[in-house]
Amino acid sequence: MPDRAELRSDLKRLIVESLRLEGLTPENIADDAPLFGEGLGLDSVDALELVVALEKRYGMKIQSHEVDKSVFASVSHLAEFVARTLAKDTVVKK
Amino acid sequence: MDSHRHTDDRRVVVTGLGAVSAAGWGVAALREAVRSGRTAIGPFDRFDHQAQRTHVAGQVPPWRPVKGRPIRWNRWSNSDRFAVFSACEATAQAGLSPPLDNEAVGVFFGSSTAGLSDTEPFFEEMVRRPGSRPRRGVLASHLISAPAETVARHLGVRGPVETVSSACASGGLAIEQALRAIRNSEVDLALAGGAECLCLTTYSGFNALRAVDERPCRPFRSDRAGISLGEGGAVLVLESLAHARARGAMPLAEILGAGSTCDANHMTAPQADGEWAANAIRLAIVDAGLEPEAIDFINAHGTGTPLNDAAESAAMQRAFGARANKIPTTATKGVVGHLLAAAGSVAAIATILGLIDREVDPTPGGGETDPALAVDLALGAPRSLPGMRAAVSVSLGFGGANAAVVFGRWDQA
Repeated sequence: MPDRAELRSDLKRLIVESLRLEGLTPENIADDAPLFGEGLGLDSVDALELVVALEKRYGMKIQSHEVDKSVFASVSHLAEFVARTLAKDTVVKK
Repeated sequence: MDSHRHTDDRRVVVTGLGAVSAAGWGVAALREAVRSGRTAIGPFDRFDHQAQRTHVAGQVPPWRPVKGRPIRWNRWSNSDRFAVFSACEATAQAGLSPPLDNEAVGVFFGSSTAGLSDTEPFFEEMVRRPGSRPRRGVLASHLISAPAETVARHLGVRGPVETVSSACASGGLAIEQALRAIRNSEVDLALAGGAECLCLTTYSGFNALRAVDERPCRPFRSDRAGISLGEGGAVLVLESLAHARARGAMPLAEILGAGSTCDANHMTAPQADGEWAANAIRLAIVDAGLEPEAIDFINAHGTGTPLNDAAESAAMQRAFGARANKIPTTATKGVVGHLLAAAGSVAAIATILGLIDREVDPTPGGGETDPALAVDLALGAPRSLPGMRAAVSVSLGFGGANAAVVFGRWDQA
């Protein structure tokens, strides 16, 4: 499992690349800044794009019931979710 | 122009203009282009048109500088970008600062292609490679209502946000809808406009109909051979005169009246005798409280197809009688191409610029004006008309939709 700090930077790059947000760099995104509403101001279309990008990047399958507001609350929350899901997938595969 | 028919809260003035077209980004570029007598239609590269019969269009140039683009720019479709840019330019000129968040502000928009230039590659990928997962986010721009809604979200408009999709009459109809909403006190202020993108669907469709000229279009000329497709956006800020006065905004022109009808005749062809197009023009003039004699110039639909220009000329003869061939006429499509559902919006801006400059703009295309048509087409250079007070802009669409809007020059008392 990747180191959390590494995972957070990786996710920031993924957000910038997959959402193509004008003028946004990974360095501009704080670990605990809200992704939706205030903060980055992402919307439900961004969430959809992000789920697809996460699945491609980490080779995981995300069920829609797993994606709630808290998962996307911030990069830190997202990193926890990805780490948890990857760990679970590993267990299942074993 | 003061028709004195309405009290200040029912008179509707224009206080801001915004436009994007093949002429470039901004109203200044459009103004320069329509006065130049040259066309902005030419070779284009928005998509692969090798398999098409024709190879020209009015394509919007890239926006430079890139700096300062809104955060969502990359995710918007071309139509959304044209719509938002035009709306921002118009509201800035009107002295408005977003968010315009009260329920007395509305958006009334013409649209037909919306995000098609972005979703065509999406659907192509889905068909060619089943199981592939192309970017689904582009689908957010696919709805015909997307440009109006994107404008509303970007500027924080909370009142009625409505999309008109009645083919090429939409731009005129959107202005009429905004005019009525203000007169009826449903809104104090409205953004009326439209946006449209070049895409394979419309380009190949009009080509299949053999309605596209191989050269840049030549409205009202003897050898005219069809339209040239264009793209872009245009937005007018409309408000009641009372509202403009109360906030100290300077009117640029007045919307005196509007009228609309339908041929109820054919899917694509206009009714040859122009009866119902003429009735739309008459209704607009009556709505303005004027007589036909008061119309100083015409911004014609003038697509450059043999059928449209002939039927439109017939309509002018019905609406204006023997005077039809003496009213100076211009056709904006010769400059920027046919913007479909936004054509009436960009033509409205060109008409207002003409009223401000007291000029009738030349229509590019070369060649002689068709002697079979009763039209006095301005050619070569802007034609000065010092006493002008009012003009009519005409938008005619597939399905027989006809819209006319009468604009009045604003003279400070």
